[in-house]
Amino acid sequence: MNKRLPIYRAPIYDGPVPRSAGDGGSASNGSLATFGRYAGPATLILSSLADGAKHGYALTKDIEQFAGIRLAPGTLYEALSRLEGQGLIEALASDDRRRPYQLTSAGAQALRVHLDDQRRVAEVGLGRLTKSWGPA
Amino acid sequence: MTARDVRRVSRLLRCYPRSWRARYGDEFTELLLAELAERPRSWRRTADVVSSGLLARFTRAGLSSHELPPAEQIRAGLATLGCALAALMTFGVAMLAQLATGLQWASPRAGATAAGAAIMSVAAGCLVLIGIAAATPVAWRAIIAVLVNQDARLAGPVAVALTSAVILVAGSRHFQNGWPGTGGTAAQHGLVPAGLAAFGWASTLSVSSYWAHPALLGAFPRPEVAWMIVSPFAVIGLVAGVAIVMRRLILPPMLLRYQSFLASAASLAAVIFLVGAASWVLGPRPGQEGLFHPGLVDTLGLMAMAMALIVALRAALGMRHASQVLRQAD
Repeated sequence: MNKRLPIYRAPIYDGPVPRSAGDGGSASNGSLATFGRYAGPATLILSSLADGAKHGYALTKDIEQFAGIRLAPGTLYEALSRLEGQGLIEALASDDRRRPYQLTSAGAQALRVHLDDQRRVAEVGLGRLTKSWGPA
Repeated sequence: MTARDVRRVSRLLRCYPRSWRARYGDEFTELLLAELAERPRSWRRTADVVSSGLLARFTRAGLSSHELPPAEQIRAGLATLGCALAALMTFGVAMLAQLATGLQWASPRAGATAAGAAIMSVAAGCLVLIGIAAATPVAWRAIIAVLVNQDARLAGPVAVALTSAVILVAGSRHFQNGWPGTGGTAAQHGLVPAGLAAFGWASTLSVSSYWAHPALLGAFPRPEVAWMIVSPFAVIGLVAGVAIVMRRLILPPMLLRYQSFLASAASLAAVIFLVGAASWVLGPRPGQEGLFHPGLVDTLGLMAMAMALIVALRAALGMRHASQVLRQAD
């Protein structure tokens, strides 16, 4: 599968924005809610980094493998810069030009909260589907 | 990897601002080269990189939803707002100067023209006062930074801004002697004093439909044509110099919040100014003769002003958010 979604047009991961975060996007509140249309790529990047540091191309390949989505380079780096700006990831020193990134503890916490929220939504949706439409 | 790929990547990287390239340029180049090796052609990838580069430029200018750290956001917003309002006022002053010249000789028969001139005059006055209130503390800090702290990063842009300002003022003062309102009865001069109207006319001589009529332009005195060519560069030098100073000058949080408040006030005044200009340009044609008749250049000017206002409002909004974050942090 090689579904390409270079740009996330719908902010499908948006939640209610806390006032403090909405008033200043760069003021980190440990949430992905302020990422707008980059919340999707940010979630994929954090998920990819959850098992270890990776550089840009390795991130692209890993995300393509586990999510079937190939992040386009511009979208990937826009999301990376936002994640780094909010302290959810950090760049590691590197001898070559490819700089690896790793998850910070704030990033791990934000990812956990975000995925828990998504799992609750998924469980509700799947439960209702099963109830109304029968098991898959 | 071929030399052609490297050139392509280098071209794509130019979409991004310099500061972004300094931080991410090397690793982004590596990623793009790997992508090109895997898939040599992809218009989606090109579009994605170009649009992301533009977004990075908008972000750096304080115009995107991805906000910078609060202090940087306000400084970027101030620079962008200043540029946008300068563009708006260049066209606006040209319009107002034309109306003020007409008012030296006759009273407009169309109510929309008189109302437009009055609204624009009041709004322009407010913008000047706000500009003075904003510029005074910034200029003082810039002078301290350059003369006392020997800040070399500010010396260049300050010199460019000052030189441009001197050229603009001296040139406008010289050419305002040819103001076509001179000799009018002044009985209907309205809210704009003749001296100011003449200065505004001379400083915006380049905003003219004569550019589309080279034969008529050729009949102009050579020095005046030269001034029409030089004055926009003086305006650009002044605005660019001030904008770079705003980007580089470190200001305390309270002063940043004060500037943010003034930015909102200036945006409101600019909206009112545009309403005045629109009421003249888009107003009913009967009764709009001579200098009160808006031409194509005024319609185009109005469109440019509207675009500049959108930019200014977006910058002011980002500054307001950043100012609230600063206040919460205090």
